[in-house]
This record gives sequence, C-alpha cells and structure tokens, in this order.
Amino acid sequence: MSDVAISTRGLRKTYRTLRGRKVVAVQGLDLEVPAGGVHGFLGPNGSGKTTSIRMLLGLVRADAGTMTVFDQPVPAKLPEVVGRIGAIVESPKFFPAFTGRKNLELLAEAIGAPRTRVGEVLEQTSLGERGNDRFRSYSLGMKQRLAIAATLLKEPDLLIFDEPTNGLDPAGIREIRETMRGLGEQGKTVLVSSHILAEVEQVADTVSIIGHGRLLASGTVAEVIGGGTAPTVKVAVDNHEAATRILTAAGMTVRADGNYLLVEGAPDPADVTRRLAHQELYVSELVPVRADLESVFLELTEGEGL
Amino acid sequence: MIRLTKVELRRLLARRLTAAGLVGLFLITILLLVATYFEARPLSAAEQLQAQQQYEMAHKDWVDHSAENLRLCEADWAKQPDPKPKLEEMCTYPEPRPEDFGKPPTIFAEIMPELLQGSSYFLAFAAFLIGASFFGAEFSSGAIGNWLTFEPRRLRVYGSKLLAAATGFVPIAAVVLASILLGTFVIVTRLGDSSNTTGKVWGDLTAIGGRAVLTTALAAALGCIVGLLLRHTAAAIGVVMAYLVLAEGVFAAFLEKAQPWLIKLNFDAFVRHDAQYYVTECKTGADGSYLCDYVQKTLSFEHGAWYLAIFTVVLVLLGGWVFHRRDVN
Repeated sequence: MSDVAISTRGLRKTYRTLRGRKVVAVQGLDLEVPAGGVHGFLGPNGSGKTTSIRMLLGLVRADAGTMTVFDQPVPAKLPEVVGRIGAIVESPKFFPAFTGRKNLELLAEAIGAPRTRVGEVLEQTSLGERGNDRFRSYSLGMKQRLAIAATLLKEPDLLIFDEPTNGLDPAGIREIRETMRGLGEQGKTVLVSSHILAEVEQVADTVSIIGHGRLLASGTVAEVIGGGTAPTVKVAVDNHEAATRILTAAGMTVRADGNYLLVEGAPDPADVTRRLAHQELYVSELVPVRADLESVFLELTEGEGL
Repeated sequence: MIRLTKVELRRLLARRLTAAGLVGLFLITILLLVATYFEARPLSAAEQLQAQQQYEMAHKDWVDHSAENLRLCEADWAKQPDPKPKLEEMCTYPEPRPEDFGKPPTIFAEIMPELLQGSSYFLAFAAFLIGASFFGAEFSSGAIGNWLTFEPRRLRVYGSKLLAAATGFVPIAAVVLASILLGTFVIVTRLGDSSNTTGKVWGDLTAIGGRAVLTTALAAALGCIVGLLLRHTAAAIGVVMAYLVLAEGVFAAFLEKAQPWLIKLNFDAFVRHDAQYYVTECKTGADGSYLCDYVQKTLSFEHGAWYLAIFTVVLVLLGGWVFHRRDVN
C-alpha cells in the first residue's frame, strides 16, 4: 500500500455566479496527504477547502487536474474506494424527520453493512440513548456525532472531516478532537479541514495550508512552523536603547514591545544574555516566543493578500 | 441496484408525507363511494310521487297542445329562408314517457369507466406530489450529498429512486382502484343496475384500472424527476399547477387543435382507450356566409400511449443527465 492516502495534481474548479461571472474556487491545487495520522487542511474562508473535499468525494466535478485516493484515480474509480472513505462535509445532513437510528439503518442497508453495526456505532458515539429521537431534535454536537457514527458504519481507512467543530461548545470540540486523535492513533488517515488553528495544531501530525485555491505550505506541523518564521525571544532589560544597539550590531533584529524587546535572529537565547551581560546590561526576564501555526498561517495568507 | 431500490422503498414508506398521502387517498376513496351511494340511491316515495305528477302534467299538455304546436311550427318552418333546417329537427314533439321524469337507475357498466378515469387523476396527482417530495426533499435538506458519499454511482442512485417511487405506488394504486371498483359494484348491485355487467365489461374495466395503475407509477417517477430538476417540492407542484392552468386551460381553449399534443388528453386516451375532444371548424359557404361547427374528434389509444412513452423516456433521460452532471453543494 502506498504511503500517500490522497494526492491531487493541478486540481481546478471554477463556478459561475448567477450573473454569469466566473469565480475560481480552486486553481491548480497540488495536495498530498500521507497515509496514517491526522492531516490538517487549513485555509481562510473561501480558500477552496470544501470545494476540494467535494471534488475528492465526487460531489463536485473538477474542471481540470487529477486526484487519487489510495492510488485509485477519482472520481472514475471512486466506487471502488468509497467503502474505505468516511466523510462529513460541512454540517451533517440527514433526513430530519427520521430518527438517528433510522438514518443509520438506511445507510447501513445501502452499503450492505449488518444492522447490528448501527447499534454498535451509536454506542461508540454515545448516542445509544438518543438513537430513537428524530434527527431534527438533535443538538449540533449530537448531529456531528451521528455523522461520525455514519462514517464508522463503513469501518473506513480514511476519514474526511470538513470544519467538524463549527458551532460546537467546548466539550463538543474536545470530544471531536479526541475522536480524531484516537482515529489517527489507530493508523487511520484523518483529513480535517478547519480554520480553528489551535485545534488543528493540537491534533494534526501534518498540515497543508491553502489560499486562493493554491497550496501555500505543506509538511509536518514542526516543519511548517519552523519554515515560516525566525526564532524570537522576548527580553526585559533596563536600557532599551543600549540593548537594541548591541543586539543589532550582532546581526539580530530588535523591536520594542511595551516594556520588552522582541529579538529575532538569535541562534540561541543564551547569545542574547551573553552579549548584553558583556556590556553590563542584565536581563531580568527572557521568554522564548514559540511560533505557532496561527502566526505562520497569518503570515502566509497575508502574503497572498487573503 | 436492487439493494438500493429496497432501501429507497423503505425510505418512501417511512416518510410522513407518504403516510399522509395514503390517508388522503383512503379518505377520497371513501368519499367517492359515499358519493356513488347517493348517486345510485333510488328516489324516495315523495320524490317518486312528485315525478309522477310532473309526468302527468306534461302528458296532458302534450295531448292538449301537441297537434296545434306542430301546425304552428310547420307554418313557421315554411316561412324560414333557404337553406331551411330539416322539418323533423325543428318541429318534433315526442310524447312524454314516465322514465323521462325522476331519476334513471344507475348502471354499473356506464358509470364505472368515468369513475376509474376520475380516480386515475387524483392517484396520479398524489403520486406526482409524493414523488417530487421524495427526491426534492433530499436536495433541500442536503441529505443527497451524504447519500452520495456512501453510493457515488449516481445513475444507480437515480435509477433506484425512480424505481422505488414507481413500484411503491403500484400496490397503492391497485388497492385504491380495486376498492373503488368493487365498492361501486356492491353499491350499484343493491341500489341500481349491474345486470348487464358481462365478462367483456369486467375485462374493459380491469384494463382501464391496469392502465391507471401504470400512469400512477409513471406520475410518481416523473414527480421524482421534476423534484430533482427543481430541487424543491413546492417548486415542482408550482410547475404542475402552472402547466394545468396555462397549457391545459388557457392555451387549450385558445388553440383547440393543439389538444392532441397536451398531456391530459393523451392521458385520457391512454387510460380510457381513445378519448373524445372538440374543435371548432369554420368555413365560408358557397353563398359567402361564414359557418362554424363544433366537431367531435377522437384521439386514439395508440397516440396516447406513444405520447406518454416518449414523454417519459425524454424526461427520464434528461433527469439522468442532469443528476449525473450536477454539482452537489
């Protein structure tokens, strides 16, 4: 089996608005999602995340480009791999007048899964007691859990979650995060699209960042964070002017930040204290400022004018 | 495909609109039978007496005045300019008969074809409505997107929905029509006249019923397609109502000769095995006068059958093409 779960090359999709204007949703997207683990798919609203996911699932036709899922070209061979894919695209959509159980029974019957599996996945997602209530009476969190239950009917190798925590309360968000993490640890591939970057940073092993329908960065979370910004330290020192002069002379970039100085380009935080101490300037506080996904994301997307 | 069709059938039968539609059909069936009962019910003694009195008065008037009326009429006829109408058309005074007064007996073989045809209208409408909602609701709720992530072969999905809607209505239509047929027979046997219900009459009625079942199944499938094309049940119903009012009502009234190309007349021709319609034919006579006649014409069963078949095939292909190509957002 290949170590790539999803691959797209030159994927493109344009829409026509009601007034006939063409809008490019995805333009030449090259995406690679490694098999196993959680992959974050990040981008601002309107950057083409959902459209890309819809194209992968055969819901939307691509104008150009190629896609593979588990080495099978899609949508041509989608029927052959769809049994290995579980997906929730945007908010969960079921028949509102049917119970959660009825909705799952219909889906199970459609894919030939045994009916006993419905009870199992309802229990797995803590919906056992509410399974006989109508879908329209469910809270958003319960709807999301039902959608996860539906994906589990297939026992999939690849799970695609599009904005899974939208509208959820903190407990719901945590639950979804743990579910995704757990699936990733089981060796399944989880592709999660989100713009809640702190969430993704906590669960994702790898990420791809897109903007204007193009890939901007991709790799492990550490690679993307490290490649995006220089190491920074926050320094508290009495004489800002002298300290700035000394550190700038050493090739570092210094900016004032209230009572602190933000120093970029120091190979090691110890370098900062050593150079200042040599000039009898003593550091009272030094905090390494760790770059996070959010700052990288903002840096990349602002650079694209997004 | 068979598995998917079974799932869709289960979904169709589990829907509340289907249940409401079945209750509606049951109530309409009961109402039709009640109406038949009142139609077939013989006159009361008081009504019979009144009819007898009216007959006697009319007969006395005929005895007293018919000869004189005939003479006066012939005189008028003689004064008519040429071309004269025929004398017997203008001056006929037949003797009143007792059966001309009061209510004639209800004859099963005469009323049943009309009743089956009328029933086929409401069955087709109910099937269309439920079919449109069956598919349209999937688009308006967004559930179709979820469904396609489980079964991405769209033509299978499309075929299974159409088949489920059509086959789901076969037993429903059969039960409703059989209830009306047998219920009417029992009522008319007790209150009217079913003595001349021969084997051929039963055969013809069964054939009409069978074709009504078929049109109901087609209406359910076509409802699905219109629901798919418009993505909303209300829009589908709106289109049908607009068609009935504008095409079958206004357009057909202004352009009578277009009737053979409208749905309703072809539907009638198929269900009833030939259907009559009327057109106004006008011509200028040799003397320069402009005369118009209301002429009865017949639309053949074959025309109706081909029309419905072609209409259905075109719509099924169009729906399949749209569903296969359309982005699901």
